[in-house]
Amino acid sequence: MYQENYDDVEFGGDVDLVANSYANSNLVEGELDEEELIMQAQAGVQSIPEPVRNFLANLHRNLANCNVGDLAYNYENQFVRLTDKFYGKEPWPEPQYVAALVGDDGLFLTLYRELYYRHIYSRLHPSMETRFRSFENYCDLFNYILNSDGPLELELPNQWLWDIVDEFIYQFQSFCTHRSRVSKRTPEEIELLKENTQVWNTYSVLNVLYSLIQKSSICEQLEAGQQGGDVTEAAGDFGVRPLYKMLGYFSIIGLVRVHCMLGDYTLALQTLENVELGNSRALFTRVTACHVTVYYYVGFAYLMMGRYADAIQSFVHILTFVSRTRQYHQRSYQFDAVNKKAEQMYALLAIAVSLSPVRVDESIHSYLREKYGDQQHKMQRGGDEATEIMSELYLYACPKFIMPNPPSYIDVEAAGSAMEPQNFQLKIFLREARLQLVIPTLRSFLRLYTTMDLDRLSTFLDMAPAELRNQLMVYKQRCRQIKWVGSPDLLKGEITSTTDLDFALQEDMIFIAESRVGRRYADWFIRNTNKIQDLVNNMENRQKTTIANAGKPKAEESSAASDAATPATAAVEA
Amino acid sequence: MANTSFDRPSTRPDEIHSLLIGVERYNPQKAGVLEDYLARQCANPDPASNHDLMANLALLKMYQFNPDLVDLDVIRRILAKALISQSQGDFNLCLYLLSDEICSDASIGKLLVLRDYLEGAQFDKFWKEMYGVEDDDDESVVDGIAGFDNGLRRLIIGEITSTYQTVAAKAVEKMVNLDEEAVLRLCKEHNWPADSNGIITLPLKSENEAKNTVIKENVKFEQLTKILSAANDI
Repeated sequence: MYQENYDDVEFGGDVDLVANSYANSNLVEGELDEEELIMQAQAGVQSIPEPVRNFLANLHRNLANCNVGDLAYNYENQFVRLTDKFYGKEPWPEPQYVAALVGDDGLFLTLYRELYYRHIYSRLHPSMETRFRSFENYCDLFNYILNSDGPLELELPNQWLWDIVDEFIYQFQSFCTHRSRVSKRTPEEIELLKENTQVWNTYSVLNVLYSLIQKSSICEQLEAGQQGGDVTEAAGDFGVRPLYKMLGYFSIIGLVRVHCMLGDYTLALQTLENVELGNSRALFTRVTACHVTVYYYVGFAYLMMGRYADAIQSFVHILTFVSRTRQYHQRSYQFDAVNKKAEQMYALLAIAVSLSPVRVDESIHSYLREKYGDQQHKMQRGGDEATEIMSELYLYACPKFIMPNPPSYIDVEAAGSAMEPQNFQLKIFLREARLQLVIPTLRSFLRLYTTMDLDRLSTFLDMAPAELRNQLMVYKQRCRQIKWVGSPDLLKGEITSTTDLDFALQEDMIFIAESRVGRRYADWFIRNTNKIQDLVNNMENRQKTTIANAGKPKAEESSAASDAATPATAAVEA
Repeated sequence: MANTSFDRPSTRPDEIHSLLIGVERYNPQKAGVLEDYLARQCANPDPASNHDLMANLALLKMYQFNPDLVDLDVIRRILAKALISQSQGDFNLCLYLLSDEICSDASIGKLLVLRDYLEGAQFDKFWKEMYGVEDDDDESVVDGIAGFDNGLRRLIIGEITSTYQTVAAKAVEKMVNLDEEAVLRLCKEHNWPADSNGIITLPLKSENEAKNTVIKENVKFEQLTKILSAANDI
């Protein structure tokens, strides 16, 4: 840390990043150095505004005392407010000034640096140096957590833990994208990248995630939980502590994200093996951003696998949740992120519903129609316009894909074309989608008839009979998908028909059949029966109380009157 | 539940299974193990047991991480096997792990074209593309895979039986690229009666039976518990 300042003073432009030994330079000007540095540090500390200094002191104290509740308040409220107030456009105070303020607490400073870099990434533009330093900081943090002798006493709020993992992966993805834009990199940057291949290396990132999962024995814990076994025993010494358990759990979700970014959708879904998606009290519901992320990636993976029905189910589930709980999310930074993901999911849902028309929940349907109604019509008509709109929506809503390896820095042109992975994924997806679009087109025609001659239909559709025959076969093939039926393994499912229109060919005659949904009356009757039963119960209770109170002596008359009043008002509200 | 490509096939040895579920799947030195396993899959002509999608995907992922290990012939074989897999999405899943560069290779490109024809049910174009050019000096793009033709025909026949209730034998001939005699033999094998005009009657099953259905409501017992308990109290 101190060496940085020294460098700035003595060696103007030369930025020497990855730690080398400064032993030679230090020996010469020992004392002057110290004084100068102390003065600088003091000046730095003075420049920190009073509220921020208090905040940092509180944070430090709460961390040392493992005061998770107060830490949550510090982190979720105060940090955000102070950032908005003082550091909207500049970084938080330098870590070395903070060190001077709170004393040299290694762990606190590592955590502070994580926040410091996170802030730079979100509000400012991180330089190559910042990226390298941030990676080193993460290495320090995870080394500390993973390589300690025994379980650490540290405890952090869940939101903070999720943000650490989330940000780690985000910075990894940002780095991969940054380095693959070879044409925009200066020669010095390219040299640095070539020499330091271990920085933000894909294997390192995966290693961190897998190690966290392994250390916390989270998979064994989840499995034991599902089968009703002993969770504490499965957890082991490390896994019982919430720090490890939650970090392990969030790492599972993190892995799902990384797999999707690399295009490996099956592995992504397989990683969620023991995480029960249907369980409304599962661990991921504790942090809203995590909850939304899980469903986003699950839905996206299903969409890419061609399992449109499952994708739609995922998206609808989480979008209903988000719209219902919208008023409870007043925390600004989380709210924005969640909203952005929700908007992306609406776009993906629009694509999925165009490809595989099903009825969705009323409120979602109306919002979708309002926002993307026009595009949906165009997509269903097929043709070039459909492809264009689909590409637009897809590129807006897809995750940022990455290439796991550094590009070839030498062959800049080849690197340029090869390094836009989302276009490649989009191409494959579009090919599938174009085939799938047969379904809505044919469906709209077949729906009008019970039998139809092949030749006549081909004239209606303006295509050759042979081609129509092929398209009918494609329709048959595509209307059967695997649909998840609630098993713990997200990849499994039953093969079901996904459209309500079916047909059979007898040589050249098409016989069409439709499946309707019968009238549903049971739910309505049950609900109303329960309602009236509740009403009757309430009235009976009121009657009982008034009878009971009538027999009591006069002294308690006033209290009896108020007692009778409250059940009455309660019954009115019911 | 139908057996999907994601279930563990009965022929997968334990060694491969533990490789796939652990972190060893990222170890580039294990690429050879997976390649050998693929070779065994290709040598096995039995379509019920010769396709292990997850293992092949793991191999492709290893290639993605270690581009210097890429063996185009291996990729070709993986894609060819995915082409005739019973689950229609397998080929795509393999594609996602490749790259533009790999897809520009000639044999991979040919497989992509074949796959377009197959998925678009344009069978005559498909067969022409596969076996058409007589003086082709390269080996066929689906070389080295035992039981490819049979697996392919099984797939096409599956589609025919799902779509048609009666179909002209001539049409079948064109779709599976067999001559009249072979088609008749096929009908005998599957017990499909063929009448004098050359129309084959296919058995009715859920896919090709066009019946109007009404989805009835399914009332679960739990929904009635509150009513029943209230009724009991009275």
